[in-house]
Amino acid sequence: MPTASADAASRDSDIAELLRAGHRERAFAELVQRYEGKIFRLCHTLLRERTQAQDAAQESLVRIWKSLDSYDGRASLSSWIYAITRNRCLTALERRRPMESLSDAGVETQIEALQAPAAQTTNDIAPLLRELVELLPERLRRTLLLYYFEERSLSEVALMLGCPEGTVKTQLFRARAALAEQLRRRGLDDPRHWLEAAS
Amino acid sequence: MIPPKKPSEDLDRALDAVLARVIERPQLPAQFRSHLEAALVRAGDRQLREQRERLEREQRERLAELDTHYVRLRRATLGTMIGGAFAAGAVATFTLPWLKASVGSQAPLVLASAGAALGLLIGVASWLQRRGSAPSSP
Repeated sequence: MPTASADAASRDSDIAELLRAGHRERAFAELVQRYEGKIFRLCHTLLRERTQAQDAAQESLVRIWKSLDSYDGRASLSSWIYAITRNRCLTALERRRPMESLSDAGVETQIEALQAPAAQTTNDIAPLLRELVELLPERLRRTLLLYYFEERSLSEVALMLGCPEGTVKTQLFRARAALAEQLRRRGLDDPRHWLEAAS
Repeated sequence: MIPPKKPSEDLDRALDAVLARVIERPQLPAQFRSHLEAALVRAGDRQLREQRERLEREQRERLAELDTHYVRLRRATLGTMIGGAFAAGAVATFTLPWLKASVGSQAPLVLASAGAALGLLIGVASWLQRRGSAPSSP
């Protein structure tokens, strides 16, 4: 079974070929076309803020353009691109005032305390779910959001976050289990109601 | 016989479906591409400026190095010439009486010829050495 990295490498073989042939600008144009959305979504997920995500995505692409000559093809192009993007986001996060970090128990407490009149009706399940997702522990939240942003592609999320697919699966399972538990506690454990409300 | 599905599986599937509907993909800002192009132009300008500054700095360093080398070479040459003149004077002082005794009145001429031959030998050796160490032209 081919790995995510091998799939990504074959997907970007045309760009790698252009780079080898010295067509740097064409390769970059193709890369932007293919990755700008993914880079922006990764930045948006990591930074949680649209303007900062836009800045970080642009900085990442400028960095990629500058470093394109030094890309040696050892890692797949997408892994390399996502690594640069994650580094830019980490730099942006370090520049920010350090945010208060909650332990898992703290997050649980916060989820419990979430004032949600919507918990009484199924009509407002969508905003409630969004709020619950935002309150998930950071790693679970990132994985869950990217999974749905990237049309449920485990391999793409693994590449974006730089971790194995197994880890993505585990984190997705935990995230959904935590959300289901919170909905159950609110008496919203009938799947038919969710689907009706979200449709 | 297919085993009955656990309720949690239904729940999980339904939650997956509802999350797929609820979680909206953030759209790329409309001006993203034009902002990116402007950022690339700015980055290119900065890169050119940095490259020019680096080249100018390297050239200054190379010139300073050449200048230092040239001064050192001139000092070494001057030192060698003065040292050589003193050594020649000393040799002449010590060998002239012995030469006079051996070859008579021709002694100064013999000494001058020997000095000239020695100088010529050193010159040729130095020229050959320099030619051997010079980088080959393309």
